[in-house]
Amino acid sequence: MDWNTILQELGIDDTRRADFLDKYQDRIKEAILPLWDEFSNPAGEEKGDPADCRPEQEPAATVSEHREESAATVENTATVEKNNPNGKNMITGAGLPDDKAREKAKNEAFEAQIKGKYISFPNGKINREYTVPFDVETQLPDISEVEFIGLDRIGLQYDPETKQITGIPTQVGDHKIDMRCKRKDWTEGKPFIQKEITLYINADPKSLWKNIPTPADVEYYKPDSDKAFVKVESKQTKGFLGLGKKEMRRKDMIAASQRGRSHALEGKPRDDDFKLYFDEPAEWYVMAVADGAGSAKYSRKGSQIACQTVVEVCKAKLAEAGKVFEQQITEFQRNKSDENRKKTGDTLYGIIGTAAFQAKIEIEKEAAQKDSQGKMKAVKDFSSTLLIAICKKFDSGWFVGAFWVGDGGIGLYHQEPEFLKILGEPDGGEFAGQTRFITMPEVMQPKEIYRRLRFDVVDDFTALILMTDGVTDPKFETDANLNKIEKWHALWDDLKGKNEDNITVDFSDDSEQAADQLLKWLDFWSKGNHDDRTIAILF
Amino acid sequence: MRRLPVYLLLDTSGSMRGEPIESVKVGLETMVATLRQDPFALESVWISIITFDREVKQIMPLTELENMQLPEIQTPESGPTHLGAALELLCRKVDAEVRMSTPEQKGDWMPLLFIMTDGKPSDLQKYNEMLPEIKKRHFGGIIACAAGAKSDVKPLGLLTDQVYSLDTTDSATFRQFFKWVSASVSTGNRSIGATDELLLPPPPPEVHTVI
Repeated sequence: MDWNTILQELGIDDTRRADFLDKYQDRIKEAILPLWDEFSNPAGEEKGDPADCRPEQEPAATVSEHREESAATVENTATVEKNNPNGKNMITGAGLPDDKAREKAKNEAFEAQIKGKYISFPNGKINREYTVPFDVETQLPDISEVEFIGLDRIGLQYDPETKQITGIPTQVGDHKIDMRCKRKDWTEGKPFIQKEITLYINADPKSLWKNIPTPADVEYYKPDSDKAFVKVESKQTKGFLGLGKKEMRRKDMIAASQRGRSHALEGKPRDDDFKLYFDEPAEWYVMAVADGAGSAKYSRKGSQIACQTVVEVCKAKLAEAGKVFEQQITEFQRNKSDENRKKTGDTLYGIIGTAAFQAKIEIEKEAAQKDSQGKMKAVKDFSSTLLIAICKKFDSGWFVGAFWVGDGGIGLYHQEPEFLKILGEPDGGEFAGQTRFITMPEVMQPKEIYRRLRFDVVDDFTALILMTDGVTDPKFETDANLNKIEKWHALWDDLKGKNEDNITVDFSDDSEQAADQLLKWLDFWSKGNHDDRTIAILF
Repeated sequence: MRRLPVYLLLDTSGSMRGEPIESVKVGLETMVATLRQDPFALESVWISIITFDREVKQIMPLTELENMQLPEIQTPESGPTHLGAALELLCRKVDAEVRMSTPEQKGDWMPLLFIMTDGKPSDLQKYNEMLPEIKKRHFGGIIACAAGAKSDVKPLGLLTDQVYSLDTTDSATFRQFFKWVSASVSTGNRSIGATDELLLPPPPPEVHTVI
């Protein structure tokens, strides 16, 4: 028998325990003997092995459902309950012969029993309705009535009728709730038994996000958001001998880039970037979107260099390839033979392949620049993904060429009739956040660059969309979904106003305010998705 | 949604009984409370706790921070420190609980592992067997903490180069340790990606790097 534990339960002081046992040895023996008789007598109702009174920390029987479920959990942490469901046991009245003392000991033993139970409530969430059943009689059979002190402070109530704790929590944090119980045989004047229960109310993560501006003196500073609208005005078709002239609508380009909440929380800069360019004389559209790696120190500069370089190189190379390239495209359109495909592909490689390659070279140049201490930077610190698309309208259709390294996505989408072409494959790893970057030597090999090129000629399209993973993760979730047209329909509807925030991006011709709308749209809420977001659309 | 799985391996061998384990509990509570104030952690972190003494138990399966409640932690009166067996259980749990990317499923962030012990593995052979297995699990970061004078940092050094020793096993040092764990988890959340190493916040002054 473990006397120490029993005495501890009775609240008897640690240090004086031995003295107590010594002094009252005889009286304790006296008290035990009649109890032993009572126990040995079959009519005696109080049964149980006193050794079992020792409350172990071991969780034993689970009275109610397991804790994943939305109900209060009561678990026995003391073995005593298993053998003694009525909570009556041998220590009752031990060494305390008179009734009052007996009652006191009984209460204390009972209290110890309640205290030994593990009672917990599922966590709540601020301003979110909380309903948890708590049926005291099935959970704790010896208790007739229970009250919870402190629930009302946080906007909750316990209703003994419905046996539920309900309400809308108003306070975040670890709340100590006092469970005050009355024993079944409670009468006026008898004490309550109290137990402290912790109820956790979670904050709304939305309220915890902070928007700390990036310090302007940070190296390679860039604004926390950016937007652009490239208005390509309608033009007059030539007609024939001045006849049949008509206004021809030309597609516009729009883009927006928003720093992610995870960066905003820490006042860190936006790593994403984009650049749009329309070459008026040749009517080529050039779009670049890049996502600087979150863990790379100067990736914001890497993405910026990448986008800028792409536009510069494409501009020069398109001028260079000029008519030859356009001729190849026209032929390819007429006859999509392997030979024609190869010719067009090779020229495209010379344009956007070179652009991507040059982006890497420019990043390396930047990294090689010595700082004031004469130190160079690591190229890896400029890691960035890169998405490129070039596009031009020919008499017989639209040519679209693309190059893609990393995550995110490029899609050529037509709403009606349905058409979708994903212009590449996302580079993902086994785990989230793993991808490929243009700064990786293995990516910038000729074969690898060629493999990443895509092009096609289509009659028309609703939108050509380039996005970083800050948009594709929440909107498409998986790589498989990126290929599902339903998801693109949903995205397009979402952009056009079918969203929680009622933000509509106006995709009518030349509507320049759309850039602001798009930037606002990028603020959409998605749990756990708080990366930088960038989207560029040709429509 | 991308989850950040965090595994805590806690020593519950006999020597942890009493003040040390009580301090660990307080530290854990502080850690959970701190993480709950971090919106990113609140939305992404999933925690599992494995305790090891003679027996090895996952006392809490991988659970969303928002819903988790700290389980009871017990220590036997005495007994060995089966860290090797704990690593074995850990590998099994990681295999079962951590999601990898597939075309149909978004993978989790690379999991983080924190180990706290005040001794050294009693099952050294098993421990050594498990070292390559742990490497295969691609943890985003493994941080080991050797607490108290009797702890041995050498075996932990084989597991990770981030081994820190705490002089004592009182509440102040554990509190610091868990504060640091919280900070690492918050940072880990955002920085895993291009580099393989986890960017850690600077360690608290009580913690010494093993030479």
